[in-house]
Amino acid sequence: MIALHGVTVAVPALTPPGTKTLLDGVSIDLAEHRIALIGANGSGKSTLLRLLNGLIVPTQGRVDVEGHDTRRDAAAVRRLVGFTFTDPLSQLVLPTPLDDVELSLRSRVRDREARQAQARAWLARYGLADVAERSIYDLSGGERQLAALVSVLAVQPSVLVCDEPTTLLDLRNRNLVAQVLADLPHQVIIATHDLELAAQSERVIVIDAGRVVADGDPETAIAAYRALLA
Amino acid sequence: MRPTDALLGSYRPGTSPWHRVGVGWKYLAVLVLTLPALFVQEPWVTASALALTVGCLLLTGLPARVTLALSWGLLVLLAVLAAFQVLIGQPALAFVVPGNVLLAVLAARLIIVTTRPAVLIDALVSAADRVPFVDGERFGLSVGVMLRSIPYLMGAFYDVRDAARARGLERHWIARLTPVVVRAVGFAQATGDALAARGLGERSSDR
Repeated sequence: MIALHGVTVAVPALTPPGTKTLLDGVSIDLAEHRIALIGANGSGKSTLLRLLNGLIVPTQGRVDVEGHDTRRDAAAVRRLVGFTFTDPLSQLVLPTPLDDVELSLRSRVRDREARQAQARAWLARYGLADVAERSIYDLSGGERQLAALVSVLAVQPSVLVCDEPTTLLDLRNRNLVAQVLADLPHQVIIATHDLELAAQSERVIVIDAGRVVADGDPETAIAAYRALLA
Repeated sequence: MRPTDALLGSYRPGTSPWHRVGVGWKYLAVLVLTLPALFVQEPWVTASALALTVGCLLLTGLPARVTLALSWGLLVLLAVLAAFQVLIGQPALAFVVPGNVLLAVLAARLIIVTTRPAVLIDALVSAADRVPFVDGERFGLSVGVMLRSIPYLMGAFYDVRDAARARGLERHWIARLTPVVVRAVGFAQATGDALAARGLGERSSDR
């Protein structure tokens, strides 16, 4: 389970008072299998997600991932929590899906042949066998997003955190990625503006100005969000 | 060839002897092709090495527009190098210096277009691990990320150039360069985050 204890994140700002608070005293437990974070642009969703993987650490408070403090034990946290970014081109650091998935496998599989075979198997599992050696620039948006997802899944995390996984996709690719996420056995925590995707979660958390302003079943939380932005 | 690949190229699958030979042999071949020209500094040596390298690239079985394409940026650089040698009174080097730069680019392309990046990184890691105080994994990963970054940055340059043209600012160098620099910094930040999120690039002792 992931637990945030009184988490505040503040960053330096050029205007008075000299700091900007991105998250303000957030305390929540994240135990459900499917959780969605929704909120306006700049509300603090992505900041909260980045805390879960240890990409950023709280200014105050603590984030525990299965008993590991993200500040003290970042390497263990990153093994447990996979993270996909909004733009897969920022995430895919090598030129083809096959190379990128192999990169994820490097620390666990030293033999090159075995590593390549495993990478191909991972890509085939998600329907990417035919594009394994294609340049990431030649993939469709959905294929890119899936390739980025597979690169993270190959690390075998127990939790998957996705920052706006459908934002850059057309309807067909959005449905494809949503279905893949729905079928994963992992705990999946997403930040999204896609309310239809959020509605498929067990729990929806609404963030506004760095605070949790609604938290509950999708119907109630999404209604609260609509009311907030009305 | 995509404009973003126009400098060093990118891996293209194939069945040629160059694709099948081990990466260590490819490195050796590149050294044999380039070092004599770099050390001897004679036009006939540079010309011979260029001819041999072009021959090797044709043997990859890949289209010449992939292996031999030269971007405008590179051609301008070569022309500037040649003009500079003439201006400083060394016309004999006006062919040798740009020729050797071109030779290095084409020879590097010979490895890059025929070798999967994962194999390239393995070879670099293996070599770097033998050097004292060098973390081979981090070195190999750095080179891999660098090779991936070149087409991204060239793509950013072309995007920004088109955006500047669309606003009638094609001659405004600040409008063309500033967004590329900003994107480069953003890309470096995003790549760092992407690597960190997967636990890649951490010191071996942290894994």
